[in-house]
Amino acid sequence: MGTNLGAASERSRPALNSEQDSFEALFKAEYNRVAGIANRVLGDTQEAEDVAQEVFIDFHRLHSAKAQYAAAWLYRASAHTALNRVRGRRRREKREHAAAHDEAGQALDPQHVAEANDERRRLRAALARLPQKPAAVLVLRSSGLSYAEVAEAVGVSTGQIGTLLRRAESALRKEVNLESPE
Amino acid sequence: MSHLSEGALRRMFDDPNAVTGTEREHFASCTECQDRYAKSSADATEAARLLAVPAPKFDADAAYKRVTEAPTQGPRFGFRMPILRQSARRPIAVLAFAVVLAVIATASANVAQIFAPTQVKPVPVSVADLQSLPDLSTYGTFAWSKEPQPQIGVTAADAEQVAGFSAPKPGSLPSTVSKNITYAVVPQAVATFTFSAAKAQQAAAAQGKTLPAMPAGMDGSTLTLTVGPALIEIFGDLKQGSASDVSQLALPELIVAESKAPVVTSTGVSAAELEDYLLKQPGITPQLATDIKALGDPTHTLPIPVPVGYATSTNVTVQGVQGVALGDNTGAGAAVVWIKGNVYFVGGSLKQSEIVSIANGLT
Repeated sequence: MGTNLGAASERSRPALNSEQDSFEALFKAEYNRVAGIANRVLGDTQEAEDVAQEVFIDFHRLHSAKAQYAAAWLYRASAHTALNRVRGRRRREKREHAAAHDEAGQALDPQHVAEANDERRRLRAALARLPQKPAAVLVLRSSGLSYAEVAEAVGVSTGQIGTLLRRAESALRKEVNLESPE
Repeated sequence: MSHLSEGALRRMFDDPNAVTGTEREHFASCTECQDRYAKSSADATEAARLLAVPAPKFDADAAYKRVTEAPTQGPRFGFRMPILRQSARRPIAVLAFAVVLAVIATASANVAQIFAPTQVKPVPVSVADLQSLPDLSTYGTFAWSKEPQPQIGVTAADAEQVAGFSAPKPGSLPSTVSKNITYAVVPQAVATFTFSAAKAQQAAAAQGKTLPAMPAGMDGSTLTLTVGPALIEIFGDLKQGSASDVSQLALPELIVAESKAPVVTSTGVSAAELEDYLLKQPGITPQLATDIKALGDPTHTLPIPVPVGYATSTNVTVQGVQGVALGDNTGAGAAVVWIKGNVYFVGGSLKQSEIVSIANGLT
């Protein structure tokens, strides 16, 4: 206990530099996937990048980039942060409404654009109403993570992923249909 | 055999080889399972269609540049307090107050040319004391010359290298304590506080108060506080923490921490002058002032604030020296602090006797 290993200031510098290097490597290796997960929920690449950068900064503030759980933590945080953004917000709806008008003015088929936007809105509303864990499982799996990666990110066994996915997909379909204009 | 589970059928949709030979044989002859599979597949297909997005193009290099070149925020203490369950908030709030008071009390009682505490003593503080404490930031300018940069989730070897001392190793632990240890380390941090008589009087005047005159030499003098490095061992599973779901974080079962003792130096004011001045400020109750003065030998004593009504303190012998054990009245947790060269802390959601036993078993 308390064995002196020498001057900390001299020795800590290489470790800190190496931590920054590790963070850069982690960032560049995982950024596309982390932003892709957020984009899957938000359907907006610019906002997805905001989420990804926020998630990386949060991670860097509190965790070592060398931590074994780094990637799993980032995936989960990206899904949760994006899902939280679609819960109870109105700003996005307004912007999309404006975008739909713009697109409708330029596109060949304004009705098609309006329908696509409406479906995206219903999807996000449905995702927002799903419980956090099944929603995250659904988003992570549809973003291309394997069953094992999804399991590690949400902290359950791989064997549970099939059941969680099944329930989430069934619930999503019902929720989207509830929102359907028909 | 029994029908295939929903999970197995869903997995089969993604990977037909994920089921066993027996399950496959059953599926081939079971119309009920085939019907359930068809529904599951339809839902999966529809979900995939709904969640499909055009392939995005992200530029990780440009994003990294944006993140690293963003203007840094103002001085911060590094840690962001997690949002805890309601039941956990009160003790944490009290702890946060206690830490703030510890800094203030330490500054008021111990500033000298070099402050080097060798013992700990409890100081009872009431909620009224905490609420009426003066805001020290109005007495001058605080700045980090070397900000605390906590690193969580590092290896034990990296933590030891940054700290410059070896990690304390507990002996036997209660069976309820996880063997999973997360290591954190905070490299040495240095802050300065420069007194300003004009700023202090201005802030007091804005609140309709009058301050006692600063002693000669205090205006413009600088205190330099050096803390850490500190090494922290957190027992329990922190893996589930996330930026957006911190409410799911559970309090660690056990925390063991070791830190170099804080050092305070002053350019123009003595410990006695500073103590006298700060204890005369509006907001410091006579009882608190008396308790701080009663500590005696301020240069070598680290005051441990004990919130009256929320925690009790006991003097205990730990590792052959005097320590202060804190026990929550609700029985929700306990902690012990002592100084033996470095400052040590052991605390968690355990009984006080267990915490003291763990502290004594550290090697």
